[in-house]
Amino acid sequence: MPITRRAALGALAASPMLAAPALRAQTPVEISFNYPVAVGGPITRIIDGYCADFETANPGIRVRPVYTGSYQDSITKALTAAKGGDAPQVACLLSTDMFTLIDEGVVAPWDEVEGVDRAWLDGFYPAFLENSRTGGKTWGIPFQRSTIVMYYNKEAFKAAGLDPETPPKTWEEQLAFAQKLTKRQGDQVTQWGIQIPSSGFPYWLFQALTTQNDVRLMNEAGDTTYFADPKVAEALQYWMDLATKHKVHPPGIVEWGTTPRDFFERKVAMMWTTTGNLTNVKANAPFPFGVAMLPAHKRPGSPTGGGNLYVFKSASPAQREAALKFARFLTAPERAAQWGIDTGYVAVSPAAWETPKMKDYVAGFPAAAVARDQLPHAVAELSTHENQRVTKALNDGLQAALTGRKQAGPAMADAQAEAERILRSYRG
Amino acid sequence: MSAAIAPALPAETRAMPRLGTVLETAAAWLLGLVWVAPLLYAVWAAFHPTGYATRFDLTAPLTLANFVAAWNAAPFAQYFLNTVLLVSFVLAGQFVLCTLAAFVFARSASRLMGLLFALVLVQLMIMPDMLIVENYRTMRALGLVDSILGIGLPYVASGFGIFLLRQAFRQVPRELEEAARVEGCGTLAILLRVYVPLARPTYLAYGLTSVSYHWNNFLWPLVITNTVEVRPVTVGLAVFASTDQGIDWAIISAATLLSAAPLLLAFLLFQRQFVQSFMRAGIR
Repeated sequence: MPITRRAALGALAASPMLAAPALRAQTPVEISFNYPVAVGGPITRIIDGYCADFETANPGIRVRPVYTGSYQDSITKALTAAKGGDAPQVACLLSTDMFTLIDEGVVAPWDEVEGVDRAWLDGFYPAFLENSRTGGKTWGIPFQRSTIVMYYNKEAFKAAGLDPETPPKTWEEQLAFAQKLTKRQGDQVTQWGIQIPSSGFPYWLFQALTTQNDVRLMNEAGDTTYFADPKVAEALQYWMDLATKHKVHPPGIVEWGTTPRDFFERKVAMMWTTTGNLTNVKANAPFPFGVAMLPAHKRPGSPTGGGNLYVFKSASPAQREAALKFARFLTAPERAAQWGIDTGYVAVSPAAWETPKMKDYVAGFPAAAVARDQLPHAVAELSTHENQRVTKALNDGLQAALTGRKQAGPAMADAQAEAERILRSYRG
Repeated sequence: MSAAIAPALPAETRAMPRLGTVLETAAAWLLGLVWVAPLLYAVWAAFHPTGYATRFDLTAPLTLANFVAAWNAAPFAQYFLNTVLLVSFVLAGQFVLCTLAAFVFARSASRLMGLLFALVLVQLMIMPDMLIVENYRTMRALGLVDSILGIGLPYVASGFGIFLLRQAFRQVPRELEEAARVEGCGTLAILLRVYVPLARPTYLAYGLTSVSYHWNNFLWPLVITNTVEVRPVTVGLAVFASTDQGIDWAIISAATLLSAAPLLLAFLLFQRQFVQSFMRAGIR
């Protein structure tokens, strides 16, 4: 914090127009902070608390938190307000909305804000920065970030004659374990081996499979996708086979929202879901559970996910500086650690994991560190220009294949053709 | 042979309508069940501990804890007040504006009015969500962002309301109007003493659709408001849509029941009036 303050004072002294610090201190800079409520319960109170603490530490700045519903609603609200000339100054939005926000011309890069500290910008996990930078500029500051991990029921492992301390490490093991874990009564399945949710945003979970099969879905510039790569169809075939050929995964579409509940109720023994669920599972699973990195195939891997902090173009220089201070405040190691413990999101910088608080937490609850240990293998979540439309093309293809309406190959070829049609105009 | 067939015929024709009624009743029950199923599920989930959300067990313990948790998670009292203020403002505005406009459209023979009415009807074809950016600009220009007035104002001039009331007013016999005029009524008095009372079922039916629409409206109120002080209850509900952590069905059901309760109660209490006015107003 002292560096920014010194830099801010330096800027003040240098500019004769603003050489009236007393006057400036009297009129507080006000910034509004749009925050989506994507995790349950008292989250708004935590954020309110952060804003209040920040104001105490920075008397010249007011932060007004505005809660904006789901990520979808939040981007609608932010873009509508920006078009109406009333944009917020800071907003937490999906990291994958970066290209959309840039194309709409509403956000500013953090690197250009007065008093930015490069060391701070580079201090986040590279896997999180992949989705936050393009064209050499940093557009998003990682804040509530997640990744996919596997949760498994240790009791079910024991009952199936598996070692509860050894989760599956490869696709083959995952299948073999799932076969042992699937319990049948006649034609009825009472416990599925594994569940990979496919409602809402199947592309995200699918991207874990493609990463493990060592294929990328898009380029860094966000203007080309590779859905038609045979390895992509291979990954999809593995997912489809779990349900149709091996019958260890529920057929059709698996609901994202109810998968944790299925897990608690022992309807499924292994589930893939976000680390954001860790606190929820810890509080509600009525049996000992394990958390593991996703099984590898050609390589281990998972996409990252979650929200970044954006600063808006319409903010005045003073507001941008205030936004920068606020972003630094939110991502300070101590706070990032506490935030991670409270919510299950992955603390965004290595420094946060070095704090005594986090070390104690991990010592008592080693599962918390799994997501961090998986980060070196993580890749950027699928994000392109016209992100909503391109991911929809992929989602439609995936759901068509999972519900048996299309074969894996043609489904992915169709998705690629649609994505190509949308993205063609973005390639110069 | 022929004697056996002959009496069978009338019996069959008597059976036909009975079969028809049975089928109709069965279909009505089926539709009713399909319609009420989500509500029944919400009641089940809301009154039982989370563990029973997807398990049906008659001996499951009943609890009110979900309602307490939901009530404490958001300032629902404030949200309810806002919603009530919002729907009352919208409804009052709609009644006044639509009555006046519909009266002119119903009783004017001018070509120009026909054209204007066609334009009003065009409004019915446009989804309000498409106008969200333009509406936002207007509200901002009026300085009404983040106010209850700002949420309601874009909906006050309702094409649907004008259309319905115009149809209702046109069915009022001219003789009544002439009689009132002979008695010495001015135009406004004719409107208020003759037309409005005769269109009561339409007002009731339209009022109900309007109230339930604005009670449930979500996207626009979310976009135009920023603070707890003005947000309606649907926006408050969004706090529970915690997609990143999996959904707690028990609490979300409790919160949904809480926010839908006033409408449900009103409907149950005034059920007969509502159904009758819908029948008479021709909205089904």
